[in-house]
Amino acid sequence: MPADLNMKILVVDDMVTMRRIVKNILKQLGFANVEEAENGQEALQKLRADTYGFVVSDWNMPVMTGIDMLRAIRADEKLKTTPVLMVTAEAQQSNLVEAVQAGVSNYIVKPFTAETLQEKIAKIFK
Amino acid sequence: MLTSESRGAVHNQEHKLYDELGALARFVDHAMKAISAACPQIMSSSTQLPTAASHLSDLSKMTEDGTLEVMRLTEMIQDNHGRIAKELSAIVEVLRAMDCVTLAGRLGNMTSVFAQDGKCLTEIMTALSFQDLVAQRVKKLVAILNEVQGKLMELIVVFGLQDSCEAACDAGTAGYLLKQLEESKTTARKQKVADDILAQFGFK
Repeated sequence: MPADLNMKILVVDDMVTMRRIVKNILKQLGFANVEEAENGQEALQKLRADTYGFVVSDWNMPVMTGIDMLRAIRADEKLKTTPVLMVTAEAQQSNLVEAVQAGVSNYIVKPFTAETLQEKIAKIFK
Repeated sequence: MLTSESRGAVHNQEHKLYDELGALARFVDHAMKAISAACPQIMSSSTQLPTAASHLSDLSKMTEDGTLEVMRLTEMIQDNHGRIAKELSAIVEVLRAMDCVTLAGRLGNMTSVFAQDGKCLTEIMTALSFQDLVAQRVKKLVAILNEVQGKLMELIVVFGLQDSCEAACDAGTAGYLLKQLEESKTTARKQKVADDILAQFGFK
């Protein structure tokens, strides 16, 4: 099943430049309905208040990290099936294992290309 | 009752202990003098570290500002490309309907050139993620500098140099800000620091 281009996507990153990059790539891929959050806590508030097709999140963020947000999403009855794509500079095996154990849908290492993001999104909605 | 023999042994041990304590006292005194001699440099390094951290934070801010400006311009070009591509497609359709196949073909080629440009613009956007990586490294460096400064401050306090540090702080907020202004001569935040100082004196 291809990804629905009209679905709402949440981009979570404390860096404004990264949010803008991900948003721009998503727009080029045809996803126009993209919202932003600066940290995991703000993202959870938005996710609980609305319906999102999937989440693209950074790992290292102040207030609430991406991995903590992921665990909170998987523990939430309403949100637990929401796909979460982690985008991070941390590529250590321990981090990957932690992310997989927490229920990550896929994982992208920075810096990445538009093709990589497209490929990972396609895999999530395959 | 101690025999004269055992009394002699105790006396020898006491003498040996006294010698060792003397050597230890001389070692401690020597170490104190060496550290005291190094203290001005430690003080100097300690006061320079916040400036170094500030320079690094400026670096992060400057790369962010530059990156956002490149992004703004790239997005503007992307939007223009989108509009031109739509117009070109509409013109190609009209030309085809009018049987102007050659002209339609040439304009069609321009559309594919535009598509290639669009790909390049997306690559420019993704390449700008270097700023995020730079900012993360800068954060780590600032944390290290803060830790080193904390350790140096501990040394200064332990070896009794806190008085001169307190004297520096006595200048008050305006004095502290003037010091910052002096230190920020080569930083991008000079105007901001100057405005903060003026605000201290009631300028709005």
